[in-house]
Amino acid sequence: MSDTTCGTVRELIPDFIGSRLAEEAVETVERHLAECGECRAELELAQMIFASRARAPEGLLDRVTRVTAESRRAPSRTWWGVSAAAVAALALGIGISSERAEMTVDVPGFAYEAEEGDVWSSDDGLIAGAPLFDGLSDESLLQLLDELSVGSPGGAA
Amino acid sequence: MRDEEREGAEPPDLELVQRGRTGDESALGALAKRHHAAAYRVALSLVRRDDLAQDVVQDAFLKAFRALGGFRADASFRTWLLTITANEARGALRRLGRRKETALEDVGEVATEELDPAQAAVVAEEAGRARMMLERLPEKQRLSVSLRIEEGLSFKEIGEVIGSSEGAARVNYFHGIRRLRELME
Repeated sequence: MSDTTCGTVRELIPDFIGSRLAEEAVETVERHLAECGECRAELELAQMIFASRARAPEGLLDRVTRVTAESRRAPSRTWWGVSAAAVAALALGIGISSERAEMTVDVPGFAYEAEEGDVWSSDDGLIAGAPLFDGLSDESLLQLLDELSVGSPGGAA
Repeated sequence: MRDEEREGAEPPDLELVQRGRTGDESALGALAKRHHAAAYRVALSLVRRDDLAQDVVQDAFLKAFRALGGFRADASFRTWLLTITANEARGALRRLGRRKETALEDVGEVATEELDPAQAAVVAEEAGRARMMLERLPEKQRLSVSLRIEEGLSFKEIGEVIGSSEGAARVNYFHGIRRLRELME
């Protein structure tokens, strides 16, 4: 049996499938897989998921390219245009703050900072048996990984 | 290796982003070509409807390209775009007032070109079953498995997309894999 642990190999399986591993790592994984049925079963599952991934529909790239190009070419609103809109809005008794809010591009820097509680409105907690891991400490997460027979990254299974 | 996202000798994303900021349309087109399929998969995994997923991808690219000046390269462009896509998808679902469809309408064809017809039929059937089981996982587990296996994201990057820590992303992934294996038995 090779010295490589199941935990290490299971971490690497997605990169093994995606041909993102260095030659040495590929050989290590292959040696382990030749001797470990559990890891082979996990490899087969991952291969099935990878093989059945959705392909982008025909026409989507053209649509994205066209719409984003049109958006860049669209004339920006001039100062008198804004003033006219503001006057019209005031005349109608409508505040322009809501319009401004809708026009704001809310993607600053890397972090896509939505409002608190809005970033991931997952309903996982409503699904019976769906665990929530976000609030757990690193220690608790490592314990869970141990229970899943993975162990810490690169560590013992 | 990623198929349509394969970079090879192509310019890296960061170079395309820098050129895109100056209005280089070919650079923006290259970014769209490289990442639209991954964005589509993330959107489809969340909204579960092809037409809605395509709308989400369009809106995500619009937002990303408009905000390109603010992209600080703390993470890869790919992770940044997929984070925007996931948030757009959730926004689309909120606007529709629903969270779930009963079934995914459009699952990709299974790649079986290198197999003989009999083998291909078996593989396609099993892969289709795995895909159905994957769609039954809770959202974060489902996305963690998809992003790791289909897009090759690291657990740190997955955590950024799903709004979790790296450790939570790792646990979501392995929990999802274990659950899938149970469902497939």
